[in-house]
Amino acid sequence: MQIREYIIRRVMILPLILVGTSLIVFTLGRVGGNPIAIYLEHEMTPDEVAQIEERYGLNDSLPEQYFAWAGGVLRGDLGYSGVLAAPVMDVLPKRLAATLELSVASAIVAVSLGIALGTFAGARRNRLPDHLTRVFAISGAATPIFWFAIVLLIIFWVNLGWFPVGRSEPEIFESISHPTGVYTLDALLAGSFTAFRDAIWHLILPAVTLGYGATAIITRMMRSSLAEELNEDYVDAARAKGLPERLVLRRHARRNALIPTVTVIGLGFGFLLQGSVVVEIIFIWPGMGRWMADAVLRGDQATIMAYVLFTSILFLVVNLVVDVVYAYLDRRVVLGS
Amino acid sequence: MVEAAARRPPASSPSGPLAIRVRRFGEITKEVLRNPTTTIGLVIIASLLLMALMAPIITEANTPDAYQMPRDWGAINEPPGTPGHLLGTTSTGGDVLYGVVWGARTSLRLSVIVVGITMVVGTIMGSIAGFIGGKVDEIIMRLVDVLLAIPELIFALAIAAVLGPSFGNIIFALTVVFWVKYARIIRGQIIHVKHNEYVDSARVIGDSKLNIYRKDVLPNSVTPVVVQATLDMGNIVLVAATLSFIGLAEAGLAEWGVLVSEGQAGISAGRWWASTIPGAMVFLWALAFNLFGDGLRDVLDPRTEGR
Repeated sequence: MQIREYIIRRVMILPLILVGTSLIVFTLGRVGGNPIAIYLEHEMTPDEVAQIEERYGLNDSLPEQYFAWAGGVLRGDLGYSGVLAAPVMDVLPKRLAATLELSVASAIVAVSLGIALGTFAGARRNRLPDHLTRVFAISGAATPIFWFAIVLLIIFWVNLGWFPVGRSEPEIFESISHPTGVYTLDALLAGSFTAFRDAIWHLILPAVTLGYGATAIITRMMRSSLAEELNEDYVDAARAKGLPERLVLRRHARRNALIPTVTVIGLGFGFLLQGSVVVEIIFIWPGMGRWMADAVLRGDQATIMAYVLFTSILFLVVNLVVDVVYAYLDRRVVLGS
Repeated sequence: MVEAAARRPPASSPSGPLAIRVRRFGEITKEVLRNPTTTIGLVIIASLLLMALMAPIITEANTPDAYQMPRDWGAINEPPGTPGHLLGTTSTGGDVLYGVVWGARTSLRLSVIVVGITMVVGTIMGSIAGFIGGKVDEIIMRLVDVLLAIPELIFALAIAAVLGPSFGNIIFALTVVFWVKYARIIRGQIIHVKHNEYVDSARVIGDSKLNIYRKDVLPNSVTPVVVQATLDMGNIVLVAATLSFIGLAEAGLAEWGVLVSEGQAGISAGRWWASTIPGAMVFLWALAFNLFGDGLRDVLDPRTEGR
């Protein structure tokens, strides 16, 4: 009962926050410079410029402009991307697929590594592995991702030559069709082992780079919540009945320690979203982040607005889902306070 | 800052409030220093601050603007260890050591400005929301919710982008993004503290609302703010360096992110120093404040334990 009320309340607030976010995004598009500057050419006459202004409704009042823009967004019209010279909605799916592929790979790295490391450290409290893990976890939040990426590139690309940059070998990429836009998936669908290997090969280094911060967060949370669980009575009971320590850890303590760890997944997802901008710049990855970075440098306001709006919605939804899942998993949580 | 945290609810003691504060400060310092990782953080912070303050002594300040990289066009892409360029030079003849040292000064200026402003703005907004409550609270907290809905870095990136590339705009963008957390912390603390008995008793003996706020509520809300501010001293430099790496600061600025961005092109040719050394500085800076802030939280707020 409570959970249902909680979900309903959270979902009811969502539109309010979305309207607020859209107002901020709209303001962003109007405070800095000319919103249509990127569409203008040097040779245009003042008349032509005026025509473009008219077409984009720049002569209307601000509220009218907002509603025109918001109405367009609701109909799936996010404007025209100056840097890619195409409507935002036309290029978004492909770009999103590339970013999603990278993010999911990073998430796999972060979740598996984070839980393993956190368990390892939490079970060895105040011993050397624990201290090392603590330093790792804190340094994860302090590591500039652009620096980490460059260090990895210098080691594994420049010096060892183990991994390439970019998303693919162009010839191999062209040799298969791309129905989903997710390269690994498309390679599997096409049944091409060469393409699949190519995809994974290009994915490893950026995924590890991007996953690093989230790994640290998960490790840290897992470590402290496991250490806490190990102090609980039920753990003593399990030990008392003679269960080997390994099984106490795996069957009892770790399972419960995973519950609070769910809460940081939202935070970790934010890390991935934000990190993808930098990782995609450095690894020449044709996703949303790189698109945003190009847009930022060239003042492409339609793309900036679309990107901020889109990522915020994604971020909000993920956080909502995480909170609800957590509420289900742990009934002790006091909801909505 | 620790002194403020030491102000506990009014307690009567024969030795007087000042002596209590001094003793409490000593206790906290001792406890903070007992944790080796916290101490390491503190030592790194001290060295970085020293470097920032002594920048004009360590290197000869560039004229007219010391925050602009000096260019030595006769020494391009020199590796570390070159006489006169201890840490090497960039592809435009910028001395990496100069960038590292003055970058520390840039970071110090940046983080003090942003943390200072956001802490004050956040505290005011959070206090208004928590203390007045009702509709005002509702409006402020909804604004906070909306601002928190946009990922930090992306929001700052977008603001700095629409305002145009300049380090001043990066500072402004960070200020807009970072005050929110303080408002949230302060409001939560106020609501929590407001219901304590000693606040009730102060009200009963006829203290004015403002007095209760100043003497009882605020001092008790300071601890988490101090911890957050310490962490932010590191995070802000990290985010700002990321923005300037992406290209939102002026080229040629003696700032770590700008240097990494400039040096990035040279890595395939084996010139690792121009990007990795300044990047390592960002890491050190953020790490030190995170280690220290983390340790400070353990000591000041016994409810959370992270050791």
